[in-house]
Amino acid sequence: MKASAGTVLPFPCASRSAGRRALRKELLRALRASGSPVIVDFSDCGTLNREDIDLMLKCAAQVAGRDTQLLFVSGSRATRVLLDVTRVSSLVPVFNSVTEALAYPQTGAASDAEDFLASQGQEP
Amino acid sequence: MHTSTVLSYEAKSGDMPLVAQAAKSNSERKEAVELGAVVVVPAKEDFAAMSLAAININRAPSSPAAATEDSRPFYSSRVPILGNDILLSWMDLVRKLGVGSLWLTSSSTDQGVPCSDLAGFARQGLDQLLVIKLKSYAEMDLADLVRFHCESRNPVTEAQDARGQLGVCLLDHLALHAGGEKHEFSCGASESERMPYQFRGYAKRIMSATERQELVGDALTGACAMRPLGTEIREQVWIGEGAKLAASVRVIGPAYIGDRTIVRSGATVGPFASVEHDCVVDCGTTVERSTVLPRTYLAPGLLIRHQLVDGGYVEDLTCGIVADLRPAGLGSRIQRRETRQQAFSEANVFARATSASALGASASDFARSSTTSQPWLQVKL
Repeated sequence: MKASAGTVLPFPCASRSAGRRALRKELLRALRASGSPVIVDFSDCGTLNREDIDLMLKCAAQVAGRDTQLLFVSGSRATRVLLDVTRVSSLVPVFNSVTEALAYPQTGAASDAEDFLASQGQEP
Repeated sequence: MHTSTVLSYEAKSGDMPLVAQAAKSNSERKEAVELGAVVVVPAKEDFAAMSLAAININRAPSSPAAATEDSRPFYSSRVPILGNDILLSWMDLVRKLGVGSLWLTSSSTDQGVPCSDLAGFARQGLDQLLVIKLKSYAEMDLADLVRFHCESRNPVTEAQDARGQLGVCLLDHLALHAGGEKHEFSCGASESERMPYQFRGYAKRIMSATERQELVGDALTGACAMRPLGTEIREQVWIGEGAKLAASVRVIGPAYIGDRTIVRSGATVGPFASVEHDCVVDCGTTVERSTVLPRTYLAPGLLIRHQLVDGGYVEDLTCGIVADLRPAGLGSRIQRRETRQQAFSEANVFARATSASALGASASDFARSSTTSQPWLQVKL
């Protein structure tokens, strides 16, 4: 799904059987190519296994040092807890819903503007 | 029917416990008060597992032999808190009353002791029965509770604090007899017949993860009477026997690391953290403002903050959500290894335990009165 503020992709968790490989390819391609934020949605993931954690970290590594912004949508509070426990939430911003994630770039832009003004010695 | 079991005691002149003194002042005459005590462990599986050290437990054949290694529940009442067994703390309080032994039983419901069993106690000639449901830790003066009960002359006195009932009630012989005749109420009396005993001391519900963590924090900082079971290697840092910490481990007090727990390189424990016995905290993992229950393995690099971990499950203390760590290999239950030391420790609690069926003829009558689904175990104090 292409939204104005970013690309929303479902996370190809291991519990999902149909089209998982294709989704995984698409996700990694989007992370390599996209200049706009990529929002990865975990809403359909019941639980996360080892492969899922590996893929999550791979996604984070993929965007490290690039302009592409990666955002996670936990979908459930249990997934959120797992993202916190694995420290993924300290690497990648995590949101409860896609709507919240889509609103994030504006927040980021506003804070960038404030930082810029502060560096110029002006009141925001 | 009065039996010779050590369930009751009689007040003696010159050595009169507070309980008997209260009864005497109330009735203006010397009077023997026979007090029995029952501790109800909430989870049936828990009771069964912990009773393995005691032989001949009167248990229904269909009941589970022990809790399975991967089973929940969380924070069962027998899971230690900073190495302390809450059952033992209640046993100490009962011992201070002068009671020679108590009965242990298990109930998966909130009912406590079934009415038929109450009648069994009545038949043994008990005047009062103290029933403690093992769901809270309370620094309670039980003698004061008994005194209050005697003065109020109500069939049942129920201890409660500002947040509600603490699971401690005292029943007199009327309530015990009524228990045998009526079957529609638990603990021997209807709500209207219960007199609340307002407890204003320190109490925490140990079945709540949040309150359990609060108790850990209070015990580590000396805000309550409980003390961690271990050596205080520096201010507010306790280490249990046989714990192994790598040189690069950071322990930030207040913190507790239980017996035989292994903390690997680069890990951080604390502040306000408790890692109970036989755990493994792998490299680089941080445990902060959290509790790790016994025999839990935590994978490398994790951040456990404001959480309670029990084997393969983690509960977030802020939102109460439970997540399964096992599919991702982030945490698991370590299989129990029966060491001689552990066996000795369990024997301390149950060494003097006697199954109801092993008692004398009169006690066997009592054993028959108990339901097959509810095992009974007598422990000398």
